[in-house]
Amino acid sequence: MEEKGKVLRLVTCGKTDKGLVRKENEDHFCIEKDLGLLAVADGMGGHASGEVASKMAIDNLREYFKEKKELPIDAHDPRYSEITNRISSGVKVANQAIYEASRSRSHWNGMGTTLSAVLVSENRLSIAHVGDSRIYLIRGGVIEQITDDHTIVFEQVARGLMTREEAARSEMRNILSRALGIAPEVDVDIEELTVSKGDKLVICSDGLSELVSDNEMLSEVQSSKSPEKVCDELVNLANQRGGEDNITVIVAFLHGESLVFRLLKVLGWRRR
Amino acid sequence: MTKIILKFKDKVLKEIPVEKELITIGRKPDNDIEIDNLAVSGHHARIFKMEDWFLIEDLSSLNGTFVNGKMIRESPLKNGDEILIGKHILKFISTDVATSAEPEAVLKKGEASETMVIDSKVQQEMLAQISKDRSLTSSGEVMGRFTVLEGGTDQKEYDLTERMTSIGKEHSAKIRLKGFFAPKFAAFVNRNKEGYFISAASGKELRVNGEVVSGKHRLQDGDIIQVGGIKMHFYLKQ
Repeated sequence: MEEKGKVLRLVTCGKTDKGLVRKENEDHFCIEKDLGLLAVADGMGGHASGEVASKMAIDNLREYFKEKKELPIDAHDPRYSEITNRISSGVKVANQAIYEASRSRSHWNGMGTTLSAVLVSENRLSIAHVGDSRIYLIRGGVIEQITDDHTIVFEQVARGLMTREEAARSEMRNILSRALGIAPEVDVDIEELTVSKGDKLVICSDGLSELVSDNEMLSEVQSSKSPEKVCDELVNLANQRGGEDNITVIVAFLHGESLVFRLLKVLGWRRR
Repeated sequence: MTKIILKFKDKVLKEIPVEKELITIGRKPDNDIEIDNLAVSGHHARIFKMEDWFLIEDLSSLNGTFVNGKMIRESPLKNGDEILIGKHILKFISTDVATSAEPEAVLKKGEASETMVIDSKVQQEMLAQISKDRSLTSSGEVMGRFTVLEGGTDQKEYDLTERMTSIGKEHSAKIRLKGFFAPKFAAFVNRNKEGYFISAASGKELRVNGEVVSGKHRLQDGDIIQVGGIKMHFYLKQ
């Protein structure tokens, strides 16, 4: 029972890098420690509109949480907690904003973005995800991708029409089956997980995951206690291998309450 | 004048004048328009003339034929219509045929070779068709369940509803092991659209049907799992 209200401390860092080939960086990310919100967006579209789309995704999601807007009544999915519904709504609101913007100016037409976001609230992790950016959970010495890539090739792998090896080689692997800003409505993948101290998260754009394998990420994450150092190492690794795309990564370590904090709580309890 | 422009990722591959009353499209070389791609059936579709009109007919292909984003079995073609077969687009250009509606672009693109997104409606229909015969664990229709056969756990049965289910003593583990010597984490089950995958925590031994497995193992209906001092039966339920 005493586990329920347990507060986890988020130690986190994010980094985005243009890579070595692209002229612009169309990725954006945010870390809102007070809210427990972490998100990565990877934009696409001509005339630098991808950058607009990914920035709008992050800004709208962040604002949605900061302003604590009411949930639209029909948006509530009873299978998930209030907070998970909120993050999902935040992604949908961002989608609408980008979609409307893309129709407002001709050179923004067709712009879109991925958006992978987590919210750490007490010991629960809420996930909202659209596109091919990825969220990984590192636990017990194992790395698990906890999002599905919304790409045509992955949908084919999932249906047994293609093997993972074929998918990794396919020239179609960059084609998204879902993205923000393309249609007035978007289907958002949502998940909830219980997390505990010692868990680690990696959120990244495909500029990292295309060039650095899951197991390489695992060993980098385990090699240092500093998320900042892990971010640097991962970005360097992707650039050493060509840096073909923009590289964005957020690394977060979940720590238990600090000793001081726990002591204060015990003292407070004694006094009552 | 009637012609078909064959495109892939907005790159024009070919322009094919339509001089016959029947044009066949498919992966096999005996087609008039050969598209060498696994998403295309051997004999996928045909375009034929009927009075003044051209019609397209899907020949019971696996992945379907789409005209302007709609899946069709048979459909008349207008000037500017875009036919999606696998990942290829065939644009129908005809000055002979009456034309009215503006065709909607099927593929929205970024710069060449960049990430693109396929129109979601087209995609939904395409995937719905694909999954007709091959439905597995898509969107929770089939749910995995563990029944504990041996060992100390807090429940006897566990539905694998979450994206990731951990097995261990730690409080974030859904399958909670009991006992002083139970490991913090013994193994993890990851559910994605392909199915359920189990992997052992670092340094832990995982047996599936008596055999030690390393890396990720795709769980099959009926598998017997041994890890962290417990034995469980995995099965899929509707």
